[in-house]
Amino acid sequence: MHFITGGAFNGKSQWVKDYYQLNERPSRWFSAYFGNLINYRFQEPDSSLIVMEGLELLIKNECQTIEIQEWRQSWQKELSSWKAWEQKKNGRQVIFIGTDISKGIVPVDPNERKWRDLTGWAYQDLAAACDRVDLIWYGLGTQLK
Amino acid sequence: MEKGRMIFISGGVRSGKSSYAEKIAAKMAKQKGRSLHYIACGHASDEEMALRIRHHRAERENSVPAWNTWEHSTNIHRLASRFDQQGIVLLDCLTTLLNNELFASEEEKWNLAAFQEDVFNMITIGIEAILNSCKYLIIVSNEVLNAPLTDGVTFIYGKILGKLHQWAVDKADSAFLVEAGHAISKKGEIADEWNHCSWDGF
Repeated sequence: MHFITGGAFNGKSQWVKDYYQLNERPSRWFSAYFGNLINYRFQEPDSSLIVMEGLELLIKNECQTIEIQEWRQSWQKELSSWKAWEQKKNGRQVIFIGTDISKGIVPVDPNERKWRDLTGWAYQDLAAACDRVDLIWYGLGTQLK
Repeated sequence: MEKGRMIFISGGVRSGKSSYAEKIAAKMAKQKGRSLHYIACGHASDEEMALRIRHHRAERENSVPAWNTWEHSTNIHRLASRFDQQGIVLLDCLTTLLNNELFASEEEKWNLAAFQEDVFNMITIGIEAILNSCKYLIIVSNEVLNAPLTDGVTFIYGKILGKLHQWAVDKADSAFLVEAGHAISKKGEIADEWNHCSWDGF
């Protein structure tokens, strides 16, 4: 599993497309940016290369109805399922792309605060579960793990 | 005509990015025949801001080497003819310039895709024009994209700024992220090079 993070509009998706040469390889790309919510819960995929983009938006949606600890447990469980799937067969890969939203002023609205907190926790869990983590700064990647 | 070299410097509010940029520029300008230029994009929206601008300008005029200050809040391409092939030009800063270009018109045009495209082109063409008529161009900008861009205006502004930063980093010979007064080199091996003033060897 590979986690790519960095600020908004920093070229994270483009970096993934270039790095994994997605123009020449079959893959399934799930994006939360076009009105559809993506489902991070494990289901047997129809491609060996999966990309999930816009994690912060899916977390925003989930955190309205669920408590932080409860959500984190479910998130960690799903991450283990994805990892198990990946390890079952050579060539399988799951790529997660999440925008960093952690460096602004503390939001006044409690829901916005919760969203920001949960996103931070989710990224820490994700980074721990991934084999590789890259931070993208205007198209340039720095490998963190 | 030889094209100038470009340095991109970004950082948070009060991270020391401008001081760092000024230091590099002043150092480069110490060689014989070089001139030092400052493009100030901010315009005073209140008395406190006006005071700060006057203070900064006076500081630059009294420094050695002295700076030529150009106050342009939009249309920076018009400045290109003012520089020469030995000029060291500092643009401070890209975030303010984008703000001015995007919200300059009376009508609310920021929401129109074609206008957003025009603004992006206006700024990049301006930078290219200056780059073609100077020795070094140093561009200063802000780190503002690591927070939620929730409302419409912020989202559009962030989208264009991100695109500009990606364009600038790609085009730049070197790029730095400044944190608490310390520059982290992200691209190019300039940190040592400019310390030893060996850039002209390129």
